[in-house]
Amino acid sequence: MAIAYKKSLATFSDVVSVEEAEALLEWLQKKTTARVDLAACTHLHPANLQVLMVAKPAISAWPNDAGLAAWLATALKN
Amino acid sequence: MSPLLEQFLSEARDFLQGIGEKLMELEDAPADVELMTSLFRMVHTLKGNSGLFEFPEMTRVLHAGEDLMDAVRQGRVDYSKELADRLLDAMDFVGMLCDEIEAKGGIGATHAADSARLAESLRQLIATVEGAAAVAVAVALIKTVADVAAADGRPLPLADIPEDVRMNAYRQACDGAVLHWLDYAPAEECFFQGDDPFFQARGTPGLLWGSISARQPWPPLAALDAYRCALDFHLLSAAPRAELDEYYRYMPDQVRMVPVSPLALALPAGDPNGGPVYEDFVVDAMKLLDAGHIEGLGRSVHTLLELSSPYLWLSSALRWLLLLMELAPEDRKAFGTLIESLRHLKAPQWADHELDGTANTAASTIAVTAQESPLTPEEAAALQALVAVQREILNLPVAASWQMGRIKGVAAALSGCLKASGDLAAVPGLEAATATALEEAATAPLLLWLEGKFEQQPKSAVAETTAVATALATGHEVASERPAAALPVGAETEGDTKLGFGRRAEDVAAGPKSLKVDQTKIDRLMNLIGEMVVSKNALPYLAGRAETVFGVRDLAREIKSQYAVINRIAEEMQDAIMQVRMMPVSFVFQRFPRLVRDISRKLGKEVNLVLEGEDTEADKNIIESLGDPLVHIVRNSLDHGFELPAVRLAAGKPAAGTLTIRASQESDRVVIEIRDDGKGIDPMTIKRKAYEKGLIDEAALERMSDQEAVNLVFASGFSTMEVVSDLSGRGVGMDVVRTAVEKVNGIVTLDSEKGKGTRLRLSLPLSMAVTNVMIVESDGQIFGVPMDSVVETVRVPKSAIRTIKKSLATVLRGRIVPLKSINTLLGLATAPKANANDELAVLVVRLGDESVGLLVDDFRETTDIILKPMTGVLARLVAYSGSALMGDGSVLMVLNVKEIL
Repeated sequence: MAIAYKKSLATFSDVVSVEEAEALLEWLQKKTTARVDLAACTHLHPANLQVLMVAKPAISAWPNDAGLAAWLATALKN
Repeated sequence: MSPLLEQFLSEARDFLQGIGEKLMELEDAPADVELMTSLFRMVHTLKGNSGLFEFPEMTRVLHAGEDLMDAVRQGRVDYSKELADRLLDAMDFVGMLCDEIEAKGGIGATHAADSARLAESLRQLIATVEGAAAVAVAVALIKTVADVAAADGRPLPLADIPEDVRMNAYRQACDGAVLHWLDYAPAEECFFQGDDPFFQARGTPGLLWGSISARQPWPPLAALDAYRCALDFHLLSAAPRAELDEYYRYMPDQVRMVPVSPLALALPAGDPNGGPVYEDFVVDAMKLLDAGHIEGLGRSVHTLLELSSPYLWLSSALRWLLLLMELAPEDRKAFGTLIESLRHLKAPQWADHELDGTANTAASTIAVTAQESPLTPEEAAALQALVAVQREILNLPVAASWQMGRIKGVAAALSGCLKASGDLAAVPGLEAATATALEEAATAPLLLWLEGKFEQQPKSAVAETTAVATALATGHEVASERPAAALPVGAETEGDTKLGFGRRAEDVAAGPKSLKVDQTKIDRLMNLIGEMVVSKNALPYLAGRAETVFGVRDLAREIKSQYAVINRIAEEMQDAIMQVRMMPVSFVFQRFPRLVRDISRKLGKEVNLVLEGEDTEADKNIIESLGDPLVHIVRNSLDHGFELPAVRLAAGKPAAGTLTIRASQESDRVVIEIRDDGKGIDPMTIKRKAYEKGLIDEAALERMSDQEAVNLVFASGFSTMEVVSDLSGRGVGMDVVRTAVEKVNGIVTLDSEKGKGTRLRLSLPLSMAVTNVMIVESDGQIFGVPMDSVVETVRVPKSAIRTIKKSLATVLRGRIVPLKSINTLLGLATAPKANANDELAVLVVRLGDESVGLLVDDFRETTDIILKPMTGVLARLVAYSGSALMGDGSVLMVLNVKEIL
């Protein structure tokens, strides 16, 4: 699993594929105070990104991958 | 290039030709439904075929064409001249792509934009009818795709890019990179097609910066459809345009690329810190600038920068100023603009700067032209170069004989330019000027027109054109990547290409590489080479005569060496012609999947067909003669060979049987093996049936081995089936197979194991045009024996020949070989002649599975002959399979060994 859910923290790792989006959406719909940890994430499919953009969970860690972090910042930081 | 692609290309050309013809016919009969339907079908098929390959550009255009034809077919859109023109244009484009694929093996990414434009122009015709709103969209799209240099009025949100990234980009641009702003709006349903637009965007070549934004305000989380892409990507890239085109070639309609001028990046941003309070600095700085005291300006900027917080708007502007001073020290005007901006803390208007700032340089004129006309800057540069060359031609000293041609040439080139640049209004003026020029036989009127039309252009020629291009490259909107100097040569065609892909009637089409040739022509070639082979064989005779009759040994040797050369060429030629006639066996194999499926359905059997070695090749005649026998065999196998699924399961076999048809090449023969894992043939049943039908007598019944019994199925009139079905069982099947195969010098063998299955082997010659025979001599005559049946030639001492009853026999390598005298077989009264050592010449031939020795007088050489079958009354002489003409003019009778023994 590229996303590990633990209590209210979702930890993303490696490449998060399109299949994960549905579960992520469901999970975020249930959690009101969700946090996501993107540190180990190297790429995520835009379907997941859309979910994050709408749900606006707190980002507890930005990706270590600088390129990805820069991209995500434009979509998630505001 | 794969054979599939080759075939596609050759078919595509036929289709394009056909489509062109049909369109022409339609012009005369626009209401002809049948024509329209066949036209639709052609476009449809071509599109389908193109989809097999990775040619998105081609498929896109054809798909649009197909949609349009469909609309016309259904009467939603009326046929019009314009429609035909656009469709022809599109087909020319496809033809051009075909040429390119053939030449380079693929399509360059540069065509993506053309392809999208053509597709849109075709769709536009559908849209015209289906609602004006759609047209607006289409037009807007075309604009986007055709890439008008000036974006559609909206300034690019360059300020979103962090300052350090912009500065970095500016540096790269000063090093000669071309900056592009990309808006990538993936299709909504793209996730379902397995696309990852984010990955695509991240991988963009030369990526400097990128951002993601939502296309519309988001719905509430509960209503979100995560699998509908609603993201837009914005990127800044420093990669050359061609590379970007290549990268986004599959989605040209989703990407908008706008060239970014480096200066446009110089947008100070930051905290205004209470508003514009830097009037003093501005005044001082402008003074320094006006005085040309750049160093002083630099110092004061540094000082202020050190004193100010780095997050201020001011600091940002100062950093830019320093960067500009470092990288573009001659652009004072830009410094001024930047300094002035400090007065109001408003971003400098670089667009104005570019327009009025350098109005007297060539670069900006071009920029203006570029913005007015729908030309890309590259095209604008090409146009300028073209015009300059025409001017130069007109200024050449008058040479009476060429003058008219020159004028016409220039006029044609200029008219092409006007059309390409969309400036159709100027065409009549040009035509008038041309007419006057032709009348006066002078270039002056054209020159005058040229000056009037392109007056902004510096007066003299090519040298300055290059300068223009350079100015363009460094100074302004976009750099031209092509060297301007290279343009004039191909310039005229260039203009044309942009307009109509240059494949109209007037230009020389690159001929297709494959030919369709009538088979009779190949046959004639085959006959001729056959005769050549025979007549070349006359040379050894000639050499022999030179030596024996005329006693000139040297001449004989020379003739022989010449013969060797001719022989080699003739053989190569023969081989080449054979190659032309070669066809893969897949030609006959391809009908089997359907046949097997249908028959096994009908019989309630389950059969898997396995085809192997379909690309094995053989002569066309051989392949064609294979068709019917193979169908018979397969039918037989399905009907008699395979059991019903239940029976198979009971026998411990899988319910579905396997029928394998395998083709392979063994030296100069093609071997086709048909194997089934059915019930096999029971020799006892065969024997009984054969006996009942009177095909064999009781003695034979006892004697017969199982193998021999199995081969009885080839006997004429034999059938094991009690009931004649519509498939087989009429007692002709296998007999027909054998006859057909033997007609082309093939051999059929059959072996079968009861309960396990049956295997049939057809062995056929690769080609039947030339036969290799061995010549033997007997009773002063010569005869040919096909080499296929010759096993060996031996000389046997008379003493080693035994007489068993009335037959002769000898022992060869521990086996008894029956001997027959050829003289006796042919009814000649003489006895075989022995040589000086009292040995007899024995030609051992194969007869089915046995060997038989033929007693002859002497052996001669082997030779290639063209076997002509016996015709007319002679056809009844079964002892001979045919005759051939020898090199010395004599006739060689070729024995039919099977018949005489």
